Amino acid sequence: MSDDEERVTMPFKFVTGFDARFPNQNQTKHCWQNYVDYHKCILAKGEDFKPCRQFFIAYRSLCPASWTARWDDQRDAGNFPLRLDQ
Amino acid sequence: MSNLNRSIFQGHPFHLVSPSPWPLFTCISLLTLTTSAVSGMHGFESAGYWIPSALILVISSMFLWFRDVISEGTYIGNHTLAVQKGLNMGVALFIVSEALFFLAIFWAYFHSALSPTVELGAQWPPIGIEAINAFELPLLNTVLLLASGVTITYSHHSLIQGNRNGALYGAIFTLVLALVFTGFQGVEYSVSSFTLTDGAYGSCFYFGTGFHGLHVIIGTIFIGVGFWRMLAYHLTENHHLGLESSILYWHFVDVVWLFLFLSVYYWGS
Repeated sequence: MSDDEERVTMPFKFVTGFDARFPNQNQTKHCWQNYVDYHKCILAKGEDFKPCRQFFIAYRSLCPASWTARWDDQRDAGNFPLRLDQ
Repeated sequence: MSNLNRSIFQGHPFHLVSPSPWPLFTCISLLTLTTSAVSGMHGFESAGYWIPSALILVISSMFLWFRDVISEGTYIGNHTLAVQKGLNMGVALFIVSEALFFLAIFWAYFHSALSPTVELGAQWPPIGIEAINAFELPLLNTVLLLASGVTITYSHHSLIQGNRNGALYGAIFTLVLALVFTGFQGVEYSVSSFTLTDGAYGSCFYFGTGFHGLHVIIGTIFIGVGFWRMLAYHLTENHHLGLESSILYWHFVDVVWLFLFLSVYYWGS
């Protein structure tokens, strides 16, 4: 980046906003619920089902990448700690 | 010695205890037990010899000390009404400390169960845990313990009314119900699908029910001693503090079970 180019800092903001189910500062379960809802959604309705995208955007914003990577691995290995098909 | 004669020699009703080796013996035994147990939990290989030895030492300490207390109370007559009041207070405080011990266990359980972490799938019981059906053996065990509360009350009231047979049979029925309860808990442990090392659920379940079971066994021995002392004519209709303490302890253990049944077995499954 050259010096004459002005650096713009945007305030960081989660895309989800406030959800009354997760009123605490700790948003771990907010992230978790959207991850679970997304995968239940695409399992039930298919990857192309548009409304599922809402959950995807939410969990991608809220969850640390290392968590979702671990959960993806667990789903692949069949030891994810929740049934997503029911 | 009657209280009247006693007051000729002593101007107060209290028991000034004589020198005894048991407090020191008990301290050393208990320190040995905790040290061996902690060592064992950290993989010290000889703990398998140390823990049982230390346990034998603790049980010996209690046996010898309580034997002296029985001699002082029943045969020498040191347990005046004032002394009984103090002993009773000691028992009550001991039970309060036990209640707080179980409060800590329930705290651990509810910490895990009320808001299960995402690692458990945010659900309780966690996936793969087949919780025990509360309305099978646990409900029967609840009935057994409640019934044992009835029989021990029958025994107590019989003793107060001078009905020796009623007092003895009440205690026998209580002991039988207690042993059947312990047996059923053993059955339940042996057929359950999860173990102590199966994560938060297993840890909390066996922490709570295990320590409750240990207390049932101790309470059974306690009532058993009361039974033997009735049989040996130690206890009278107005002086039977040991038996009353065992009854108080038994009711406490009973109440802990009711909380376990409601929160761990019923709500937690």
